[in-house]
Amino acid sequence: MNETIYPVAIFFAAIFTNNILLTNYLGMCSFLSVSKELKTSLGLGAAVTFVMATTTLLNWIVYHQLLIPLKLDYLRFIVFIIVIAAFVQLVEMIIERVSEGLYAALGIFLPLITVNCAILGVSLFMVIREYSLAASFAYGLGSGIGWSLAILAMAGIRQKLAKARVPKGLEGAGITLIITGMMALAFMGFTGMINIS
Amino acid sequence: MSALLISVGAITALSSILALLMVIADATIGNYGEVKITVNGDKELIVKGGRPLLGSLMEEGIFIPSACGGRGSCGLCKVKVLEGAGQYLPTELPWISKEEQKENIRLSCQLKVKTDFKIEIPEELFNVREYRTKLVKLRDLTHDIKEVNLELLDGQEIKYTAGQFIQFKVPAYELTDEPVYRAYSMSSVPSDTRHIQLEIRLVPNGICTTYVHNHLKEGDEVIFNGPYGDFFLRDTEAEIICIAGGSGMAPIKSILMDMAEKQNPRRVRYFFGARGRRDLFLLDEMKELEGKLPNFTFVPVLSNPEEGDDWDGETGWVTDAVDRHMAEGDGAKSEGYLCGSPGMIDACIKVLTANGIPKEKIYFDNFG
Amino acid sequence: MKESPQLKIAEANMRPGVITLNGFLGHDTRPLGDILVADEGTVRRMGLTHVSIAEKMRHFLDAGMTGLGEFVDVEPHFEVMVQSVRGKLPCPFGDPGLIPKTNVTVVNRSNGKQITYTEFHIHLVGQHGFYEGHGSPFRLEPKLLQEVLEIEPLDL
Repeated sequence: MNETIYPVAIFFAAIFTNNILLTNYLGMCSFLSVSKELKTSLGLGAAVTFVMATTTLLNWIVYHQLLIPLKLDYLRFIVFIIVIAAFVQLVEMIIERVSEGLYAALGIFLPLITVNCAILGVSLFMVIREYSLAASFAYGLGSGIGWSLAILAMAGIRQKLAKARVPKGLEGAGITLIITGMMALAFMGFTGMINIS
Repeated sequence: MSALLISVGAITALSSILALLMVIADATIGNYGEVKITVNGDKELIVKGGRPLLGSLMEEGIFIPSACGGRGSCGLCKVKVLEGAGQYLPTELPWISKEEQKENIRLSCQLKVKTDFKIEIPEELFNVREYRTKLVKLRDLTHDIKEVNLELLDGQEIKYTAGQFIQFKVPAYELTDEPVYRAYSMSSVPSDTRHIQLEIRLVPNGICTTYVHNHLKEGDEVIFNGPYGDFFLRDTEAEIICIAGGSGMAPIKSILMDMAEKQNPRRVRYFFGARGRRDLFLLDEMKELEGKLPNFTFVPVLSNPEEGDDWDGETGWVTDAVDRHMAEGDGAKSEGYLCGSPGMIDACIKVLTANGIPKEKIYFDNFG
Repeated sequence: MKESPQLKIAEANMRPGVITLNGFLGHDTRPLGDILVADEGTVRRMGLTHVSIAEKMRHFLDAGMTGLGEFVDVEPHFEVMVQSVRGKLPCPFGDPGLIPKTNVTVVNRSNGKQITYTEFHIHLVGQHGFYEGHGSPFRLEPKLLQEVLEIEPLDL
């Protein structure tokens, strides 16, 4: 376990310098389709942050307390996915029971993000970089917030884009990917600022 | 080999545990058990909890009007919920005005019954039932209007007021995969409680009208629920002016036949607007009614009679014909009954008010 | 590209038999999001906006209402027929309110072209930029709309 990296540093790194979407290119599919509307992006961002933070925590516990002692760590890919899917299912049920308003705002996104690769990616990075429990939680939470910021920024840009003259072949997914690339280029400037692995 | 068995075993064990967790969760968190709905203070219904109010009431035989199949896009299924409902859902708010919010009016297709409810619904809705019928006769009235005659099965009887409408259930057919409900006025006389009659005009791309015109055969089963609506003859002594064309004749015919049975002495004039002679229908029935009723005149008005039509009756816009026929002083002692498109109703209201009929005394079929 | 949940619901509502018999997508295999993006680009390149097109469509509907189902002359060289049938339809995108079933046929006497649309389309075009999918019998080509209705490009 790498104790020398403070969870706080990891938290800020996950948002800015090691943004899961703009630096590692994970979680793009729902990002591309939902970033058209600001309000929807907010809802999806909140759902992703919540799921990322909690599943990273859960997966850390499952990995270190279950898989390693049983020498089954090679099964982590499939186990993480199963845990994420079950967790999301449970959360959906609980939200629907507790608050219809929250379910209407957030609940419809939960099935969409179950298979979001960023969620799995965060858990796997946590293993590769050998984070502690606190660091994992900070990393999960930070990644979620970073992902949300990226999608909100994209939504804002796309609102302005509506008035721009986009060439016919690049409409829709094309121009969005180019913009994502430019945002990622900008974020590349942060490389090396904070060392989190 | 053992590694394979261990891997498979481990994954199976994990999946099973989580699946079990899901089942338990569904049975506890997702399960609301049974809840009680108290209607108008005395009727108590026990229903399965967690489902929309509209569906739960429908299962118990209480039909709240709905035109969109419970999707939250028509705003007709409003119910007053005194106790039990939580906060307003975002899908309800566009339909509920501030005043309605103060009265606790909810959209029953979106509101889920998660705990005991106390609700209030208008008495007339208790008379609404679902009826199973058989199509006994399908008759062409014009090139695009069919007369649908239904006989109630299972010994059922229907009680309604002349001028009301029903919701016709169209089963899934051809490309559709869900049943759909469409409203049609009854053109039959209420005294025959075992039969109803509808006039259905073919509309291009229409789900129900295409079904009725191209698929329905005599002997087929038809389900509908009703009666609904507050378009009916007011019990006064005023003279009556009816304006309706095409399938708008249905509620007017029902009212006229009812009047004939009861020998209602009031003067009634019915202006029927159509394009050419081929759009006129039930002329014999209208003539018969002129004979049966003490003071009824049927005035067909053609806006576009063709060469071969050989028409010597009224021509032009039906509203102009009404204007011509109304004498000085008629307006003050008359009531208007209209059935047609919003554009037509607006034009008719204009001509009737211009001739002295007060706006409150003009009634129109307003579900379409 | 994955679709947002709202578009998925709208697409489901556009299938045949849900709101109208033939639905709104024809035999278009593109996802709804792509259809909207493509038409948005076409309209923008014509120098128009969805709202300006819908406003012109509404103008002809209002002008033709007086005909009560017959053709009327509308300045300077149009003939418009507006027909209504009973019933109202809900918006597939889930907007509140029901839209009456009103058909509008506009004939442009100076270029001989004509087009038929409904009040429903005025809402779909103006509020959502939706012109229906390719192959739908009621697909509105923005180009044809501009030619028949003579919609002026805006200074964008």
